[in-house]
Amino acid sequence: MSDVDQKDPWPPLSSLPMGRRVEISDPAGSVWRGTVVPHHDFSGDRILQIKLASGYNVGLRIGPNFTFRLLEEPASPAAPTTSVPLPAPHLAEGPWVALLTTGGTIASRVDYETGGVRPVSGEAEILAFYPELQRAGQVHIVPVFDRLSEEIRPEDWAELGSRVVESFRAGACGVVIAHGTDTLGFTAAALSFLLVNLPGPVVLVGAQRSPDRPSSDGPSNLSAAVQVARDPRIGEVVVVMHAGPSDSRFAVHRGNWVRKMHSSRRDAFESRNGPALGWVEDGRLTLEGTVQPPAEGPPRCDLPIDTRAGLLWFYPGLAPEGASAFARELRGIVLAGTGLGHVSAAHLGWIREAVGRGAVVAMTTQCLGGRADPYVYATGRELLQAGVLYLDDLLPETAYAKLVWALGHSTTPDGVRALLRTPRAAEFLDRHPGGAPP
Amino acid sequence: MKVGLEVHQQLATGKLFCACPSEFSEEVRHTFSRRLRAAGGENRAVDAAATLQAERGLVYSYESTASDCLVEMDEEPPHPLNGAALDTALQLALLLEARPVDEVEVMRKIVVDGSNTSGFQRTALIATGGHLDVGGRRHAIDTICLEEDAARRIADSKEGVIYRLDRLGIPLIEIATGPDISDGREAREVAEEIGALLRATGRVRRGIGTIREDLNVSTEGGRRIEIKGVQELRKIQEYADREVGRQQTLLAVRDQLLARGATAPSGPVRDVTSVVGELASGPLAGALRKGNVVLSLTLPRFAGLLRSGANSDERLGRELSEQARAAGLGGLLHSDELPGHGLGPDDVERLRRALSLGEQDGFVLVVDRSRERAEAALRRVSARAAAALEGIPGETRDPLPDGRSRFSRPLPGRDRMYPETDIPPVTITAEHLAELRAHLPERPATRRDRLVASYHLPPEIAGQLVASGDADLLEDLVRRGRSPGPVARLLTQELPVGITAGASESEPRVTVEQLDELLAAAEEGRFSKEGIPAVLAALLAGAPTFDTAVERAGFTGPPVDDLDVVADRIVRANSRVVQERGEAAFSALMGDVMREVRGRRDGKEVAEAVRRAIVRLRAEGDG
Repeated sequence: MSDVDQKDPWPPLSSLPMGRRVEISDPAGSVWRGTVVPHHDFSGDRILQIKLASGYNVGLRIGPNFTFRLLEEPASPAAPTTSVPLPAPHLAEGPWVALLTTGGTIASRVDYETGGVRPVSGEAEILAFYPELQRAGQVHIVPVFDRLSEEIRPEDWAELGSRVVESFRAGACGVVIAHGTDTLGFTAAALSFLLVNLPGPVVLVGAQRSPDRPSSDGPSNLSAAVQVARDPRIGEVVVVMHAGPSDSRFAVHRGNWVRKMHSSRRDAFESRNGPALGWVEDGRLTLEGTVQPPAEGPPRCDLPIDTRAGLLWFYPGLAPEGASAFARELRGIVLAGTGLGHVSAAHLGWIREAVGRGAVVAMTTQCLGGRADPYVYATGRELLQAGVLYLDDLLPETAYAKLVWALGHSTTPDGVRALLRTPRAAEFLDRHPGGAPP
Repeated sequence: MKVGLEVHQQLATGKLFCACPSEFSEEVRHTFSRRLRAAGGENRAVDAAATLQAERGLVYSYESTASDCLVEMDEEPPHPLNGAALDTALQLALLLEARPVDEVEVMRKIVVDGSNTSGFQRTALIATGGHLDVGGRRHAIDTICLEEDAARRIADSKEGVIYRLDRLGIPLIEIATGPDISDGREAREVAEEIGALLRATGRVRRGIGTIREDLNVSTEGGRRIEIKGVQELRKIQEYADREVGRQQTLLAVRDQLLARGATAPSGPVRDVTSVVGELASGPLAGALRKGNVVLSLTLPRFAGLLRSGANSDERLGRELSEQARAAGLGGLLHSDELPGHGLGPDDVERLRRALSLGEQDGFVLVVDRSRERAEAALRRVSARAAAALEGIPGETRDPLPDGRSRFSRPLPGRDRMYPETDIPPVTITAEHLAELRAHLPERPATRRDRLVASYHLPPEIAGQLVASGDADLLEDLVRRGRSPGPVARLLTQELPVGITAGASESEPRVTVEQLDELLAAAEEGRFSKEGIPAVLAALLAGAPTFDTAVERAGFTGPPVDDLDVVADRIVRANSRVVQERGEAAFSALMGDVMREVRGRRDGKEVAEAVRRAIVRLRAEGDG
């Protein structure tokens, strides 16, 4: 039993609101004065975080013998003499670009009092943040949904596709889609199959570094993307991101050839099947290779899709029973096989059974480069005979996106296979030149 | 006026947020370029310092080396905080009787001058409330922080700045004293004691540039001035005294401005290109012919006070000029400097009339090719002139070689720090602190006393060894059997002299084994004590073996007699071979003797000695 009936200071301290000024003393006589900031997700037990006058946050373990008192707010407001307002944007004449947003942050502000990073929303605020976007013409922001990219589902691809078409019908010369980088490649591939008769570019863009940082690649990527979206030579879905660590060069990738190949680098996105379509460098867009030109007819989004599709990465130890269970409810499965497109013979059983009941099983290579070819080794030949459709040099993700579209456009397995096999959006590359690997 | 000190010391523990070594590198592997944008704060506020830098629209080039990785390139998230660095900071906190925090929160401190690729510096507060006793006085230690060093500025480029990433991420311990140092001499003593404490941990980088001091000078009623990056301890005194003088001058100017009713500049910036164009001759005219514009700003009732003050170096006009420089211009012209620069007294009169100036009004002129840049410069000049009416604005200043300093950037406001959420907070447990406390390095004062008592070294020598960090080396050599006096002399005199002569800025390029051999050889009489510097110089210059160094120093091996003795011994040991093969045995015997004398004699001498030995042997056989 303690002599002194002392109340534990932790409950009142831990329930103080953010921004409250407080003075805390420990039993040894150390004193801290600061404002309460939000708990860090990974803070320890009984740790209170406060922001000191210097701006540093510290974590204090509040023992039972700590004391505290609440401090008044300072009488005069904080002197704003060091702050400068952002410049207003200049508007220019010219065709307008639609900027579709899917969530993920285009611009953000830091609340230095609490440390929170808040997304900037609203067209006016975002465009005020990035005045350079409207140097060559107006940009209109169209919020579509608000999801982290790993939460995006094929249904969202369909919705995006419809909104792209709406934007072109409303008079946009090009459409930019701001998208989280994790599944950006999937969305780009899906849109390349969904969108038909594009009168202008559809440009997916993201940022590898969050926009609260001064070093964020977001602004320069977005600026390059808007520039590409204005280009009259392009009528397909592309991805624009950094081409290297420098902020001066951006690559234009075909949407169904591109993949995120590094978890964090600015130049994570690489065209795998073939070279990049072009580059934006020092403000100039150069197109190499054959870009799909704009189409004459009205644009449309070729729905419906069918999401009863799956993507399965083969690896040593993958149990056939598990794979079979995975495939059971699906109308189509894309396999990412090893090498030229191989899986263990132990899987032939469920594959034959799936094909037998009308499912489509397609093969790609998990090497993410080169063609899948069934004729070179016995394993491939057996898979072919079991009814597997080999999809040449399509990336597993691209094949999956195409399957989702194809399943919505045919009720028969032969019909689906024909749709998969038929080039639709320049997704197959007939010639793979030598030289440095991509 | 009170002075505070901030000491920044690089650690040798490896980088703070990745596994790269804390080493400089001359091997540039590739280069890339970036721009940085000012980050917006919650209340549409952008920190003044950040605005200043981002506004200049610079392109930063970064050199990637053998000592950096994707983390330094801002292409990979930071790794967890370096535990050895954190422990070193905690050791310092304990040695300084400071109170460590219970949980370390790493912060992002926005820095937009390009020296951090991410646009911010990662920094954490480790402890507060310590003290240091120096020269009989107790000094408050306000804070101990652990942060990453910035990239190394290599050169300016046409579009901006070139940095090298080798230094980025090297851990820095920052120790900040309270503003209770009264003069330059005291500042130096405190800095030296802090340096000795840091070196006592054994985990600091050594060499020029691995420790830097900032001076904080506060005036009564004024804001804090930071003079950042004083490299030489002995100059601290001078910088502190000069800064105090500068502030006193500016305060006197303020009083005079207020007395005559001067006000903050409020009128518009005027384009006087054509007016000046008609008047000017000399360099000003030349600049106008090249298409520059001239803008002017009126400073109400500032005339005569721009160039004034007892010390003509500390002028308000210079302060304004430094603002123009910070905006990218070469400087400015102010009215107290005219007539001059191609404008005669009549020209000045006409200009003043064109600007509708009163007699007591001053003005500044800026010349630049870009109107926007000139306007931006005048905005800053205007703000600085307004601030002159209040006192001394808070600033960060750069030290100049002659003891003065110049404006670098506005003192960063509190707006600039927010949590580094990529790094989880680090809990400091009582157990961990107890563990560190049980193994604290020896305090410098204690070590000094112990060296004097154990080795009978003079106190100044003991002090030098502790301050330089060589006390460990001395004790190592003594443990190997060397005598303390000669070791101390070697470490405090002969070795530093030898290193300076060899113009090397890095670690001494001799090993403790070589120093041991050097002293032992002198003890044995292989050469006299006076010969030590010469052999040392040969070692520092990179002699492959100790014996080679001795030879190069001119202390050749055994005297001629001994060589004959060696040759004799070897020839006799192989007498049968000599008898059977005669001259043909010669080269084998040569090899044996050469190996024996280990390169201390040249081949010609050895050949002659071997021949003599063979002759003697045969003579015996024949005789």
